[in-house]
Amino acid sequence: MNQPNRVDGGQIDRATTLKFQFNERWLTAHPGDTLASALLANGVRLVGRSFKYHRPRGIFSAGSEEPNALVQLHKGAALEPNTRATTVEVFDGLYATSQNHRGSLEHDFLAVNDLLSPLLSAGFYYKTFMWPRAFWEKVYEPVIRSAAGLGRLSGKPDPDEYDHGYLHCDVLIIGAGPAGLAAALAAGRAGARVILADEDFRMGGRLNGETYDVGGIAGADWARSAVTELTSMNNVRMMARTTVYGAYDHGIYGALERMTDHRADSGDKPRHVLWRVYSKRAILCAGATERSMAFGNNDRPGVMLAGAVRTYVNRFGVAPGRKVAVFTNNNDGLRTADDLRAKGVDISAVIDARKGEFVVNTTGRKGLKSVQLNTGRKIETDCLAVSGGWSPNVHLSSHHRGRPTWREDIAGFVPGGELPPGMTVVGAAAGTLTLASTLSEAHETATRIAMDLGKSRATGEAPKARDEDFSTAPIWHINEGKNRAWVDLQNDVTTKDVTQSHREGFRSVEHLKRYTTLGMATDQGKTSNMLGLAVMAEASGKTIPETGTTIFRPPYSPVPIGAFAGRARGKNFRPTRLTPSHAWASESGASFVETGAWLRAEWYTRPGEKGWRDSVDREVKATRTAVGICDVTTLGKIDIQGRDAAEFLNKIYANAFLKLPVGKVRYGLMLREDGTVYDDGTTARLSDTHFVMTTTTANAVLVFRNLEFARQCLWPDLDVHLISTTDAWAQFSVAGPKSRALMQKVVDDLDLSNDAFPFMSCAACTVFGGTSARLFRISFSGELAYEIAVPARYGDAMIRAMMAAGEEFNLTPYGTEALGVMRIEKGHVAGNELNGQTDARMIGLDKMVSRKKDFIGAALLDRPEQTREDGLQLVGLRPVDANVNLTAGAHFLSPGDPEDMAHDQGWMTSVAYSPELGHSIGLGFLKRGRDRHGETLRSFSPIRGQDVMVEVCSPHHIDPEGERQRG
Amino acid sequence: MADITLIAAPVLGGFNHEFSNCTLAERSDIALISVAVPRDGDTALSTKLDTAWTLTMPTPSTTTQANGMRAIPLTADQFLLAFHPDTNRTEVSVQDDLAEVGYTTVQTDAWVILELSGEGATSALERICPLDLAPDAFPTGSAARTVMEHLGAMIVRVDNTRFWLMSARSSAMSFLHAVETSCRWTAS
Repeated sequence: MNQPNRVDGGQIDRATTLKFQFNERWLTAHPGDTLASALLANGVRLVGRSFKYHRPRGIFSAGSEEPNALVQLHKGAALEPNTRATTVEVFDGLYATSQNHRGSLEHDFLAVNDLLSPLLSAGFYYKTFMWPRAFWEKVYEPVIRSAAGLGRLSGKPDPDEYDHGYLHCDVLIIGAGPAGLAAALAAGRAGARVILADEDFRMGGRLNGETYDVGGIAGADWARSAVTELTSMNNVRMMARTTVYGAYDHGIYGALERMTDHRADSGDKPRHVLWRVYSKRAILCAGATERSMAFGNNDRPGVMLAGAVRTYVNRFGVAPGRKVAVFTNNNDGLRTADDLRAKGVDISAVIDARKGEFVVNTTGRKGLKSVQLNTGRKIETDCLAVSGGWSPNVHLSSHHRGRPTWREDIAGFVPGGELPPGMTVVGAAAGTLTLASTLSEAHETATRIAMDLGKSRATGEAPKARDEDFSTAPIWHINEGKNRAWVDLQNDVTTKDVTQSHREGFRSVEHLKRYTTLGMATDQGKTSNMLGLAVMAEASGKTIPETGTTIFRPPYSPVPIGAFAGRARGKNFRPTRLTPSHAWASESGASFVETGAWLRAEWYTRPGEKGWRDSVDREVKATRTAVGICDVTTLGKIDIQGRDAAEFLNKIYANAFLKLPVGKVRYGLMLREDGTVYDDGTTARLSDTHFVMTTTTANAVLVFRNLEFARQCLWPDLDVHLISTTDAWAQFSVAGPKSRALMQKVVDDLDLSNDAFPFMSCAACTVFGGTSARLFRISFSGELAYEIAVPARYGDAMIRAMMAAGEEFNLTPYGTEALGVMRIEKGHVAGNELNGQTDARMIGLDKMVSRKKDFIGAALLDRPEQTREDGLQLVGLRPVDANVNLTAGAHFLSPGDPEDMAHDQGWMTSVAYSPELGHSIGLGFLKRGRDRHGETLRSFSPIRGQDVMVEVCSPHHIDPEGERQRG
Repeated sequence: MADITLIAAPVLGGFNHEFSNCTLAERSDIALISVAVPRDGDTALSTKLDTAWTLTMPTPSTTTQANGMRAIPLTADQFLLAFHPDTNRTEVSVQDDLAEVGYTTVQTDAWVILELSGEGATSALERICPLDLAPDAFPTGSAARTVMEHLGAMIVRVDNTRFWLMSARSSAMSFLHAVETSCRWTAS
């Protein structure tokens, strides 16, 4: 029979039938069903196996607090383990399987663990498997790891998309039960910008599961009308399927909205959106969670929370059993029997613990068959509805470490200590466990908050209801009987585990939690924490408030890692910056390398080239013998203007800039406050008040930031202004003996002869018949070279035009590798040398540092470490055996010295194969290096297993006099 | 080389796409000139803006607009002038106009401007823009610097349902991808 456990009523669409699979069996449901309600409707009680003992488990609750009914959803890469069946909306085609069993769900081989339970008590793994020692890694750990855990991951990339977002509101209302709806109505009517978020797909909270009246109509109907009114307000955002999982600083809350989990097809939309909600005020209306009582074998399928039983009957039209018994310590639990009777369900017994009657044991391996009372009476039943009272959901109120306080009258903790700023807690979450009080409290609180925020529109009256009779006896644990009584169903923690941990000295609740795993995993102990605390209090002879409580941390309920990652995966992990010539470079066989966020061409492969060295050697040779072109747009470019711009630069750079003539470029050295070189580059003077600074690619942002700090904070009286132009100009280095001939062809009406435009000149000009440009005669390669810049919009056209114009000169594009080779050949320092420990003396530029002015870094130039006679100095290195390739990072040792740090003489910073010299070359720092040219040393790299002899030489491997670049 | 003329190319190739509830388009027809206010030069610059275009200086969070010229705040003492260049108003002419009263830099090529318009614009922006874009919090004419998907950005509310989203030209493709993804994922 289809859905044999359906009863009348419920908020489901019976006109539509959905088909879904559980363990390969096709079942039916209706829109509005959760997977749990649908399974119960179909008579499925056994849905999973417990964590440690592999005991049969069923559905325990009807919400996110569910500890038992964890299932796997979907197949293949989309497989998702450990999903609570109570929160899954059924859709047509849903595929679900049970988890944590070897063999079938009904016949789980690992159920043998239950027989071994005396050996597997709390902390067993800390005390066993100690011997023999070698067995831990090879035997015990692999076996335990294999058996541990619940569901299984697919091991494949998550096929779903996730997104992030930002929301802003006056009032964030967390939870759309009676308190949340009443608060939202008041705040919304007052004109406040309201966000109402609820984890359920149907707003109304307990009103949907109970038979209370509100405003003279059924509570569920009132909830529906409230939702309708709120939805019609432009100032209210209704967010169902949204869990506010964390309270952070400054009124910011984290919320997870499940966008497509309830659909068979996501429509290429993100599955979840992780919202950052900025709120002026927050009203926590998270309600309360019912708890169980611990008695013998209280974990069988069919043992459920009483409130959940009412929810299944009233909201979903499902009877969880045909013959239901109720076991309660409060009046609220008694309502269950009334609601079930109203739906025609047989009530086999109502066991009221307050009257001295207790359930002490149950029977039924794969589903409850009977319960045994302390009186000896045995009651046949297939569902036991248990109510041990309600625990306010204080979680978010303690995310800023506010400790909940104990309320004896409700036998529960309520929000206490310091709440997150701006948060108010109302309703059941605040310990107000009756309906009329909840509604009026929420209404009044929201009205007051709205007025505080300057909203003065009338909010109407609080919804009317009756306060139900509610009283709870603090009965937690039924001691009679030897059967195990479960405290935490999800982690298989029993009362015995709790008392044992206490016996073993774990007095703190936090230690108890970690020793027993109580309260961990997907339910975070929502149904078990109170019970565990009570059992521990009993064991220690203290009261519950004396025993303490744990502090809750985000997230309130599980948030997929994918949601935290959002879009930041794969190539979208971070942005990419492209040079203006990128498209042309791609077409021209470029291989790209990441330099920060930039993609730069590292070399251009030509047909017939067998490896990167072939390409790089060719590019270097072509540049050295004819002309090469390289996109250097990535270098930082900063426009510096103002009457005091020259003075500003003079204070920034270690060398003089005050008198740099207009039309000239100067190399500059930038120091940190401690005198260490942190960036170098060139700065050109375009007019008396206008300079253009070039920085290294890596330090472009850092230099700009430091300049801005200096401008605003160090010398605010100077008239100087900065703006980045890095992206504004497409800039190309044109280097090689034929570069002048090429540039003369490209540049309009500018005499580029050595006399008219010598080394370190600059000029504004036009190219290719009128496009505005800037020309700089500077060289990083050591060759006669220029850098030509055009507005970036012309960058693509420029490289194509340059290549066409340069064809007659054999113009060759070169990448960063060739650039690196040529700068090492020339002895120019780069990031390898400027590593954050280098000062001007080390790189031979101490004479450039001005002693006649003040500048950043001047005060600490002459520290003892920097002036020591045996200080490190930049040198060139070449292998004694020309066939050897040198290794960067190798250390220098004198021949015969032991290989230890005491005899370390320095290290190789950069190496390259020089096509011009025909062998490997290097740069490095060597103690007293400049005095040791011609000396032979060991270059020793234990990491790479290299030990070769090198000769110390000038770092300028080619053209030491600079004739080429000045020619 | 009179036989070669360089042709300007929009960094996103003139991207323009209509989604079900918004439109996203590259604005490559806008010229941008940054204007830095010389120390103690506020009055002279204000006067010049007024006489040249009846334009007032922008406030830290609000743009001003007059005679086809829009002033967008950048920093405490710097703003952008945005305009449609034509034969009478070019980057050079605007720089010349302000030569004596402000420090100007052509910024047209430093930025990519995406115009996002339509009823769904704010929904799309909710996914990438951390700012409160409610009309009373960020009314028409507002401008702010912010971060979108790890990229520094500026947002200008040009109209109730029309925004300029500005970011660095070199990462324009990543920026477009971020905004386009938001449009696609929030489209009905």
